[in-house]
Amino acid sequence: MLVVAEREQLPVPQARAGEPAAWDALFHRYQLPLYVYVFELVHDEQTSLDIVQETFIAAVRHIGGLRDNAKFGSWLFGIAHQKCAQRWRKQNREEILREEIAELPDEFEHSPDDLLIRQEQEAGFMNLLNQLPLPQRAVLLLHFIEDFSLEEIAGITGANPGTVKSRMHYAKRALKKLLEEKK
Amino acid sequence: MKMLREILLERHRAAAPKLDAIRREVMTELSNKDAKAQSRAGNFVASCLGGSHKLWLELIWPCRRTWAILATVWIVLFIFNVSQRDKSELAARKLPPPSPEAIIAWRQQEKLLAELIGPSAPGAAERRKIFLPKPRTEIAEFLTV
Repeated sequence: MLVVAEREQLPVPQARAGEPAAWDALFHRYQLPLYVYVFELVHDEQTSLDIVQETFIAAVRHIGGLRDNAKFGSWLFGIAHQKCAQRWRKQNREEILREEIAELPDEFEHSPDDLLIRQEQEAGFMNLLNQLPLPQRAVLLLHFIEDFSLEEIAGITGANPGTVKSRMHYAKRALKKLLEEKK
Repeated sequence: MKMLREILLERHRAAAPKLDAIRREVMTELSNKDAKAQSRAGNFVASCLGGSHKLWLELIWPCRRTWAILATVWIVLFIFNVSQRDKSELAARKLPPPSPEAIIAWRQQEKLLAELIGPSAPGAAERRKIFLPKPRTEIAEFLTV
């Protein structure tokens, strides 16, 4: 997949060494996906831009804390997620979700391209995405935007992999239902 | 038909110029920090060099003759000290080992001294034993008996 190939060629060691060109390349690679993720969570343009900027600055400051260069992407999204959580805490807008963490069928263990959407369904998809509770939305976005694994999403959101799997299941079921209704 | 990733990214493509601006801003800050760090290091070296130059001009150069005389005295003292130390070490190394006759004479003197002092020593020890103080209770019992 294209995303994986891009990850492998990331100049993370050079960024660690403090090369500005490497940082520029990394930021260029992640700026839009990161913005999309943050925007779809906070729904405010200026706040999203601020969080992206804060994330970049924090990444430069704390690159020493990154253990595995291959996990730069999930590490960066983890920083952004923490920034979003801080904002929610400040604004007292944190959503509490009670979920059943049950044994899940494997029918939804597919790659992001398993859900193909027609142009007329885009608006409906976005509406549904926005209706999902924050934790489910976060999991789904991370899965679709960067194709992160369950473990990586668990690391980013601070939830355990079982919870992530459950959230993914409910979110995908809701999406499929919508798509079938619109057919 | 589109992938969800494409839909999401395309919806926010308009934000790309703003994101570019943010990236440039962060990169400028990053390069400014590097420049500041470099200039700080440069300033430190320059201040060290400037300080030592000032010290030379104000403290040493005006009294250079005094400093030169003091330095000469220190050097002479050092050389003298080193030469003396060498001599004493050499002298200690050069001392010949004692001859067998000297060792025999020294042992005879030691034996004679032991004979002269020997008999008086045990007597003193015995006396000490005799006059050892007894516990008061024993004295009391003796008196009652």
